Amino acid sequence: MSYESKHEAIDAEVEPLISHPGPLHTRAIGKILAIWAVFTAIGIIIALFLPQHLFPVGYGTEQHDVVLTFVVFTIAAAPVAALVYAVTFYSLFAWRKKGSGKSDTPPPDGAPIHGNSAVASVWIGVSVVLVLFLLVWGMTELGAETQTEANVIRVNVTGQQWMWTFSYPGTGVTSPTLIVPEGRQVKFQVTSEDVAHGFWPVQLGVQIDAMPNVTNLISATPNKLGTFAVRCSQICGLYHAYMQTTGQVVTNAQFAQWLTNHGASTSSVKSYALSGK
Amino acid sequence: MTTTAPLLEDTKLEPKAGGFYRHQNFLTGLITGIISAVVFWAIAHATIQGSNWGSDMVVTVTLVAWVVGFNIGIGSFNAVLRWTLGHDQDHEDELYAAGVGQGWKRYFKFCTDHKVVGTQYLVLVMVLFAVGGTLAMMIRTQLLTPHSRFLSPETYNAIVSIHGMVMIIATIIMVSGPFANFIMPIMIGAKDMAFPRLNALSFWLVVSAVPPILASFLLGGVDSGWTTYAPLSAQSPMGQDGFAITICTFVCSVTVAGINTIVTTLTMRTTGMTMGRLPIFVWGSVIAGALGLYAMPAFLMAQSALITDRVVGTSFYVSMQGGTGWLYENTFWIMGHPEVYVILIPPVAALAEIGSTFARKPVFGYKILIAGMAGIATLAIMVWAHHMFTTGWAPNLADPFMLTTELISIPTGIIFLCLIGTIWRGNIWTRLPMYFLYLFLFNFIIGGITGIYLSDVPVDQYFHGNMFVTAHFHYTLLGGAMIGAAGAVAYWFPKVTTRMLNERIGKTAFWMIAIGIQVTYFGQFWEGFQGMPRRVANYNALFLHANQMSTTGAYLLMAGWIVFLYAIVHSWRNGEKASANPWHAKTLEWHTLTPVPLENFLVDPVITTGPYTYGEPDPIPAPQPEPAVVGSTSSQEGAH
Amino acid sequence: MSVTEQNTHESHDDHGSHGHYAEGGNHHDTPQAKHRKEHIALWLFIGGDAVFFMLELFFWFYLRANNTGGMWRAANCTKAAQAAINGAGATASNMCTDGLGNAITAPITKAAPIHTIAIAVLIVISAAFVWFMEVQARQGASRKATTPLAGLALIFVIAAIVWQIVQFQVLPFTTVDGTYASTFEFYMGSNLAHFALVLTIALGVFNRSRKGLFENGRWYQIHLSRLFWVWIAFSSAVLAAVAVLFA
Repeated sequence: MSYESKHEAIDAEVEPLISHPGPLHTRAIGKILAIWAVFTAIGIIIALFLPQHLFPVGYGTEQHDVVLTFVVFTIAAAPVAALVYAVTFYSLFAWRKKGSGKSDTPPPDGAPIHGNSAVASVWIGVSVVLVLFLLVWGMTELGAETQTEANVIRVNVTGQQWMWTFSYPGTGVTSPTLIVPEGRQVKFQVTSEDVAHGFWPVQLGVQIDAMPNVTNLISATPNKLGTFAVRCSQICGLYHAYMQTTGQVVTNAQFAQWLTNHGASTSSVKSYALSGK
Repeated sequence: MTTTAPLLEDTKLEPKAGGFYRHQNFLTGLITGIISAVVFWAIAHATIQGSNWGSDMVVTVTLVAWVVGFNIGIGSFNAVLRWTLGHDQDHEDELYAAGVGQGWKRYFKFCTDHKVVGTQYLVLVMVLFAVGGTLAMMIRTQLLTPHSRFLSPETYNAIVSIHGMVMIIATIIMVSGPFANFIMPIMIGAKDMAFPRLNALSFWLVVSAVPPILASFLLGGVDSGWTTYAPLSAQSPMGQDGFAITICTFVCSVTVAGINTIVTTLTMRTTGMTMGRLPIFVWGSVIAGALGLYAMPAFLMAQSALITDRVVGTSFYVSMQGGTGWLYENTFWIMGHPEVYVILIPPVAALAEIGSTFARKPVFGYKILIAGMAGIATLAIMVWAHHMFTTGWAPNLADPFMLTTELISIPTGIIFLCLIGTIWRGNIWTRLPMYFLYLFLFNFIIGGITGIYLSDVPVDQYFHGNMFVTAHFHYTLLGGAMIGAAGAVAYWFPKVTTRMLNERIGKTAFWMIAIGIQVTYFGQFWEGFQGMPRRVANYNALFLHANQMSTTGAYLLMAGWIVFLYAIVHSWRNGEKASANPWHAKTLEWHTLTPVPLENFLVDPVITTGPYTYGEPDPIPAPQPEPAVVGSTSSQEGAH
Repeated sequence: MSVTEQNTHESHDDHGSHGHYAEGGNHHDTPQAKHRKEHIALWLFIGGDAVFFMLELFFWFYLRANNTGGMWRAANCTKAAQAAINGAGATASNMCTDGLGNAITAPITKAAPIHTIAIAVLIVISAAFVWFMEVQARQGASRKATTPLAGLALIFVIAAIVWQIVQFQVLPFTTVDGTYASTFEFYMGSNLAHFALVLTIALGVFNRSRKGLFENGRWYQIHLSRLFWVWIAFSSAVLAAVAVLFA
């Protein structure tokens, strides 16, 4: 057999094994886009309604920002997830023959697509844009959070195995529960007596570790009256689970009154609660 | 395929005079290890106990003696000893070391045949998952009710910490152990790995590393999570010493295995197997091996400084004496982040192979996929401090680390592109391995996106240290990597065990696992949203329903894994015998016999194309003169 | 994939005559193939050790720069310095103390450089002997020429180990004396661990040279040993320099 006729013979044998792209190609893309649109819509609806019910009620502006960011990021992620899910979902209906799962013979070969630079470029390009968006959002948020305001009020937080102690500099008041006034930035000066703990006033939406021999700073701005939880978020030994206390957001007047009730002198309350030192 | 050379494994070996090392096996290792431990414990106890150093030093010395003794007893260091003595192995020694003539016993010895090592790893991985899984079920059982007294806080903390570390060990080796060892050399047309003895060493090092961490339970436990942050871990009970010895030993194993994988790929490819024709699985194994080589020394550093803090009173991590816990955290996460990609990349690469075989299509974007995996590995080195956003360390670095972390989503996206591109317009063959690819795609979207929330510093200030993080990494490591590993097991099962994995049982297990994952970990996301911290033995009643959901899911998930294990064991023993290429796949491992001969191929393969030639007619080879052969049949024409 | 299979595999019966594989390794390998593999493997291992080495440097400079509580070497534990260290929120009671409330009033004495430098010099000399040995072996020297050099390399690495152990005894501080002391002693322990690895190789190189296994052009293992030796000497010398210059 000549070389050329060998070629033809093998081609003829192999030809039926290759599936060819047909007119279904563009219909497939259309259908997938439709599924994608539905999935994206579902994702966006979930983003708009679910997180705010899953998060606890926020007691600070930072917590509000957390929820907002979560919603925005979910909306941004929805089309990405939807695309992957749409293609995989579609593949199981359009590109799978019934009974293939029980068959010992494979289906015929699919289209010999090794890649597509246009698709890859678009995919990577969109990823880069999304990442830039996430980054700018995050940096803006973080930048805003780290500003110190003029009438900031400072609270010393000390963690130890397995309790929290809060003290209010200049007033001599210490407390096992965290009392903060509403409407002002509170700067927590956090340290530990022993091992690393995680100071987490949950519904204020911030946290920072309490480290020994170091003072870590974190700010929150309570904006709603009521009680919130303070938990330890860094495993600190035997009773880590119990290292919790409560916090309360009160009005300025109540705050001053509370300080006075706990032994602070009138002058110290005045200078501390008013000047933000 | 015909040959006249007899199969090597049929070679008869005469017993060798003076060959005591031929009697070494797991039992001699065990005995030597235990005796060493006892002897050194006695010496240490007599000389050190009661002195300033006390119990931690004694425990450390004892466990190091165990590790070294075990490895001496099983013959890990024989080659070094023989080299030093100038008494090198001869051909017959090599054949013996490769397990020739020993039947089933070779699986319990220091055996250099990469297929034996791969099989040993497969069994070890299943044992480790059984241990880690049992610990997980104890955790979830404890958390079924808010004030459970099922476990004391001390026991619970120990279980949480050891569950984490055992699972980390298991997931690091779950694909690279069995399959980079068994399958990868065959995939490149090699006869074994570059360093067969190092291969066996890497396995037995892991085996010897396991008892110390299990001994932790008897030594007071570990109370600082698997991350064992200092300064807490510097003052933990003696179980922490067991933990540290396990790590130091395990690090040696991973280092050796990584070197072996890389050198094998660089130097042992058969004729015509250029780097550009390597299957994706080989690339993934190499990239993961290189990343592990970078990351593991950091683990060694972090833990050895912790050991000295505990045992001889240094103060690396004790701030009162000049140290800082941040030093530990940085060093740890310099390892810890690359390490999760060491876990993830091999299963992803295996799934690429599965996608190609079961969509009957080439892998989409071969070069881009490799670039994506390499990109993830490179970026992984630069993101570690995203685990430290809330530690107060270097607040100015929060933005740069947020940047690098968010950048990782680009190569991760490339992986998704290539996987769904492989499925695109394929003819999907829904056999069991393919199921796992689909589940991976579903789970890893969730795992990946939840990671993006965590990479945003303000959002992390809510979620750090809470169950949301736990759910995120279980989605990626269990829902993603481990599912990929399960796919790899289902895929290569016929080649490794010579039998077909029972698909009916396997698919039942699959659905239990798939649903179990969603219920368990959505329950934990819910817990995290509500504000439940992680690593807590008891919790506020607020979190009851979320925990009930998670525990229910966990029982279903565990049942699913048990059914999968049953499928594996049952099929391994009684399954239908597999043909050489039941999946009609194109990569080289499917083009040799099942069971695989000792040196993998009876004739050395010569490669002329890349591995993903689906949809293309096989090329007709160029006309060749009849080769001059020595003592064997003439070669075949045509392609396979 | 498309595979054209060629029968290039010799029968195994031919291999019995090869006898002992002095070079070890896979009997299918040519010496060049084996050398290439070992060479790459060695560089990868050195790479891993280099990561460890760089972390050791990081530990030193990080702890020194932070000087938490003034306890790097307690060098500036005067009252004024303590006041400066104390800062907002930090407790004063554990600054510049030994942890039990006893104030530290004098700095920790620096380790005498003579020992640190001597140990580094010894290991460098040891590496130099191996390097010279390799040069000789490449030129086809007999065991009579190479073995004494191997012996000297062995002696010098043993000397480095012994002197390192001696240094432990004569240190003016112990591990509990702050982070300078901790990191310095860690460096010493690291030296011992790495020198022990070199010692194993040194014993083998000496013994094999003695048996003539490096004659007739089989110098490659000396080459590999030399590479590793030089890396250990280099990294130990750098650690020594840091320990002396940045105490």
